Amino acid sequence: MILKGTGGSETEVTWEDQQNINKFGRLNNRFHELEDEIKVAKEAIDNLEDASNELILTDEEVVRFQIGEVFAHVPKEEVETRIEEMKELNSKNLEKLEEEKESVVAQMAELKKILYGKFKDSINLEED
Amino acid sequence: MAAASSSSTESPKTTTERRGIPGAQFVEDVETYLTQTGFDVNSALAFLQERLQQYKLVEMKLLAQQRDLQAKIPDIEKCLDVVATLEAKKGTGEALIADFEVSEGIYSRARIEDNDSVCLWLGANVMLEYSCEEATSLLKKNLENAKASLEVLIADLQFLRDQVTVTQVTIARVYNWDVHQRRIRQIAASSTSKDS
Repeated sequence: MILKGTGGSETEVTWEDQQNINKFGRLNNRFHELEDEIKVAKEAIDNLEDASNELILTDEEVVRFQIGEVFAHVPKEEVETRIEEMKELNSKNLEKLEEEKESVVAQMAELKKILYGKFKDSINLEED
Repeated sequence: MAAASSSSTESPKTTTERRGIPGAQFVEDVETYLTQTGFDVNSALAFLQERLQQYKLVEMKLLAQQRDLQAKIPDIEKCLDVVATLEAKKGTGEALIADFEVSEGIYSRARIEDNDSVCLWLGANVMLEYSCEEATSLLKKNLENAKASLEVLIADLQFLRDQVTVTQVTIARVYNWDVHQRRIRQIAASSTSKDS
């Protein structure tokens, strides 16, 4: 994001403009962080899906379930319950992240309108 | 930030500093700023650039600290998980059988009998034995502290990034002002030379 001059035009930057620019920068950073977190959450959910599918196929009674750094021998039903709980948790988390991302995108669009409205060509708010 | 202090000479638009990070002063008008500080354009630009470099350094440091904390938190949560599992097994009387890593790719089986205490690794080659409840409360306290530190760190980073943005905008405006001035001088010079 840059602020360049177009020859002679000298649009004044007020404190309010500066605050808007700062807010846009913060939102942009948060947006990228959210994208990364959403990717991680989606991967976790995929892994849990694969795990529960494998579980259905297996005919062992005792499953080695990772708790912390060790694999504890846990009966199959308990593992199923645990995986369901983890899937629930992750889905809720993902939902929350997606919601936050939408709100951030909306706020950024608002700010873009305001800033482009005032500065037109003198400001660039796109991703490089 | 909305405090109106009409008698104060400081512009209320600067937070002077936060935990050692100097705040970037917002420039209302470039010309006034240059006359006030006594800088000419090049020294002003050099000063602002240097400030920007300092901010970048601090940002690297804070980002590294943030990464460390973000790695520590899942670790503590895993420990809490294990202690919780041990506590759950306590009532049933049956032993917990677990496979643990001895070396990369090599696992061994352990039989963990019913017991009331766990040992926690505190760092610096120190390990202490705790009862399950004490261990849980210690781990929970550590988790709280880590999460609180992370929040403060994130707020610091946000403050820092704002100062970086303000400085970048100021650099751009000083530069534009200079270009504008040169253009005016050029037009004035060429028009006087045409007249003479």
